[in-house]
Amino acid sequence: MAYSDKVVDHYNNPRNVGSLPKEDPNVGTGLVGAPECGDVMKLQMKINPDTNVIEEAKFKTFGCGSAIASSSLATEWVKGKTVEEALSIKNTDIVRELSLPPVKIHCSVLAEDAIKAAIGDWKKKHGVEVPVAEKAAH
Amino acid sequence: MSAPSTASVKGDHFSLFGLSRKLWIEMSALEKKFLELSWKLHPDKFVNASAEEQETSLKGSSQLNDAYRVLRDPVARVEYLLEIEGMRKEGEHKQQAPPELLEEVFELNESLDELREAKASGRDLGALKSRLESEEKNFQEKLGEVDAQLQEAARQWDAAIDAKAGDSDRKAIMVRLNEMLNRRSYIRNLVTNVQKELQ
Repeated sequence: MAYSDKVVDHYNNPRNVGSLPKEDPNVGTGLVGAPECGDVMKLQMKINPDTNVIEEAKFKTFGCGSAIASSSLATEWVKGKTVEEALSIKNTDIVRELSLPPVKIHCSVLAEDAIKAAIGDWKKKHGVEVPVAEKAAH
Repeated sequence: MSAPSTASVKGDHFSLFGLSRKLWIEMSALEKKFLELSWKLHPDKFVNASAEEQETSLKGSSQLNDAYRVLRDPVARVEYLLEIEGMRKEGEHKQQAPPELLEEVFELNESLDELREAKASGRDLGALKSRLESEEKNFQEKLGEVDAQLQEAARQWDAAIDAKAGDSDRKAIMVRLNEMLNRRSYIRNLVTNVQKELQ
């Protein structure tokens, strides 16, 4: 199966690879994994607590090309967005942008989960209740 | 069972061996039954039979071999049980990676990456290798823990069958069995990857 040009591009030139200091109160870390392929994805973002804007995003993913491309794209997309905007990114947006085939959709799900996990971690550090959970409650 | 002289075989692997769907199986009895059935179904016995009977014997033999292979292996047996009970559908894997393992899995992958780089650049591998070996040992231990938990859940399943427990009780045990199988295969894959790199 051939990867789309965009996947290949992200795979060959991944954006924002690296890590941010985990202990930094303004840094949220999301660590997620897919059991069927053993992929692990770490996504971190530095969020300005006054503006809620994501100023910096880094990732490191161990997995297939699609998983790497999905997380690379996710860091590109969240940068400069507010927390609320970032939370509205759907895995289907990633699928569309990268033209992922059906068997690789779980990679995009992983990236969406990683964004949510990173923001959740940041909110926890700031003692903010996660609104996503509140919404799901009723 | 109204099995006539022909070699017709129906039903699941358990019923083929005359077993209920319990997870504890006496190996020597299983083997004995296997030999007995193999003999009954053996294609050599059907050389003079009709083409239809020959076909059935061939199919029956291969089904018997499949069944024996699955039932002999304690993990494959659980997978199979969940499959025929409708818990594990092909291509429908919304599974969760064990979250408390992710940190260690990530570190393990980083060590593996370092090892690959070190190999490529011809650097000294001694320290890296011993670190990976201890990480591997750590995951081997976890594998042992999962296996023990799997056995425990299997015992509960058998007890539930004996007690003719209701659907919801059985379902709850199957959910646990399924979780443990996922964990097991996840850890198993990790260990295999590490071993490949360490060779």
